[in-house]
Amino acid sequence: MAKRILIVDDEPRYLRLLEANLRTEGYEVVTAQDGMQALDVFSSNPIDLVLMDVMMPRLDGFGATQRLREFTNVPIVILTARGEEQDRVRGLDLGADDYLIKPFSATELLARVRAVLRRAHSPADAGQVRFFTHDDLKIDFARAEVWRGEEPVSLSATEYRLLLQFAHNVGKILTSEDLLTSVWGVEYKNDKEILWVSIARLRQKLEKDAHTPRHIVTRSGLGYLMPPNET
Amino acid sequence: MDKETLSELHRIFQEVQSKSDWKSALDALFISMRGSFVFDNVAVYLSDRQTPGLDVVYARAIGRGKTAEADAAWGESVANDVISNEHMVIHGPDKGSNRNDRMSQTYVLGIPLYVGEKLRGALLFVRFGGPEYSDIHIHVASLQAIWAAALIERKELQEARAELDSVQRQMRLQDDFVSTISHELRTPLGFIKGYSTSLLRQDTQWDEATQREFLSIIDEETDRLAKLIEDMLESARLQSKTIQFKFSPIRLDALVRDVAARVRTHHPNLVIEMKMDVLPPVLGDGVRLSQVLENLFSNAIKYAPGSKLIISGKHLANKVRLTFSDEGEGIPEEFIPFLFERFYRVPGERTVTGTGLGLYICKQIVMAHHGNIWVESVLDRGTTFLIELPADPTL
Repeated sequence: MAKRILIVDDEPRYLRLLEANLRTEGYEVVTAQDGMQALDVFSSNPIDLVLMDVMMPRLDGFGATQRLREFTNVPIVILTARGEEQDRVRGLDLGADDYLIKPFSATELLARVRAVLRRAHSPADAGQVRFFTHDDLKIDFARAEVWRGEEPVSLSATEYRLLLQFAHNVGKILTSEDLLTSVWGVEYKNDKEILWVSIARLRQKLEKDAHTPRHIVTRSGLGYLMPPNET
Repeated sequence: MDKETLSELHRIFQEVQSKSDWKSALDALFISMRGSFVFDNVAVYLSDRQTPGLDVVYARAIGRGKTAEADAAWGESVANDVISNEHMVIHGPDKGSNRNDRMSQTYVLGIPLYVGEKLRGALLFVRFGGPEYSDIHIHVASLQAIWAAALIERKELQEARAELDSVQRQMRLQDDFVSTISHELRTPLGFIKGYSTSLLRQDTQWDEATQREFLSIIDEETDRLAKLIEDMLESARLQSKTIQFKFSPIRLDALVRDVAARVRTHHPNLVIEMKMDVLPPVLGDGVRLSQVLENLFSNAIKYAPGSKLIISGKHLANKVRLTFSDEGEGIPEEFIPFLFERFYRVPGERTVTGTGLGLYICKQIVMAHHGNIWVESVLDRGTTFLIELPADPTL
């Protein structure tokens, strides 16, 4: 099966250059012109690799990488025009697998793509699910939107991040310390009250009955968890 | 105030002010005043200026709420009431609740928080099992609200300052001429390298149409690179003031007509309307001023294609004012302050090639003539560039 590559760049000339070369190698190509479009396109068909420019309007390469890494392990190669170390480091830290510095030669591009695809652990579909469901709860990771049944749920950035922790660890008990550190930062490691309030608020918004929660359940003395789907 | 109260206040003030971070300061504030105002849970709800809705930024369970964890009451609905209606709220236990279960007998007090004069959130106190809030309690709680708001404002200002410092540092890096040049040059170089190495690939064949396409791109980008280098050198020379201007009395009306005629030979369909007063001579460098005019013509042709150009010259007091108008799309207001900056290109104008240096160079030249250049624009109506030059004082 031909590998499908998503290329993201706001310069049409770069899209043309990348697409023309990738097609000669038998790859299928889909394009996007900024980070937001990339996230939308990403879920329409399975993608094996994302080739993404850093400087883009609306959502830049770093932002898009960060969002993608919230829900997928797809290989990401960032294209950076400035050879500055901080760009490369930042991209890699945010989850990119490799980088290419412009100007690059066509052969270098293709070799890099081949190498990253070789290293990729999972096939296109695994770890790439855009939608998450848990009983009547649905999360669209690409858009960072949450629904309870048919109703959209409005969550603050913090509440969403907290929910993600549970969505990515279904069936696993998460300690207060873990949750506080991951969502708020290490300085909040012992501020348990803020976790209590936030979980209480999340339950108000997500549960049919906040006092008998089914999405986020307390395990006294141990922590909290999202129990596995009952199927 | 009596001595006892004063020394108590002194102790509290010191306690709170001694804390360097806002969370510990809030802790100190509530704990040190707990003798006068007892509570079980306290929470600070704040609205984020960017997203709608409230977030909890601080919460403490000091008394009986300590073991109740995530199901305890934190007064969220009261907080929403405080913010929507901009008033203090006192909420006693629900009528149907069990009198004997202390934890369900919640007494909530919510006070608006004004951070920097804006209603930004609510300070909430919860008591399990009472007692009710007396007038003195409410008074003390209101004082705490004022102080808490000040602590939050201080925190936000500190964060804003840190952000500003970091942005400033970034901008200083970006303003570095060398790093900007290398970025600007790498773009056309990137295309030239990319498209030429594509054609050079030995493992594939490109059809003729594609070969021509790639070669044209290489050609165009080479031109772009050449112009870029030319403009960069020019702007560097102007910047370092190593350019020798040759000043002599110049008849601007004649200069404008010359440049217009030259432009028309390359663009015969261009409609130019001229309304020139009789203008006194200005002291200037004819070659450089022509450069400015050529740049304005070139911009108008690029960004307002097909539009009529209206050029007028007026004699004002001891100045000459040239206006250069097109009837094109105009420039959005938010971009106007940046137009004359080095390498600035209006976002979205990717299809038009340009170096971002043209207007910067124009400005340098006009300023070297002790003049002024600026722009006015109305979306969908057009753009006008205005240049003022001092009339030759010796004549």
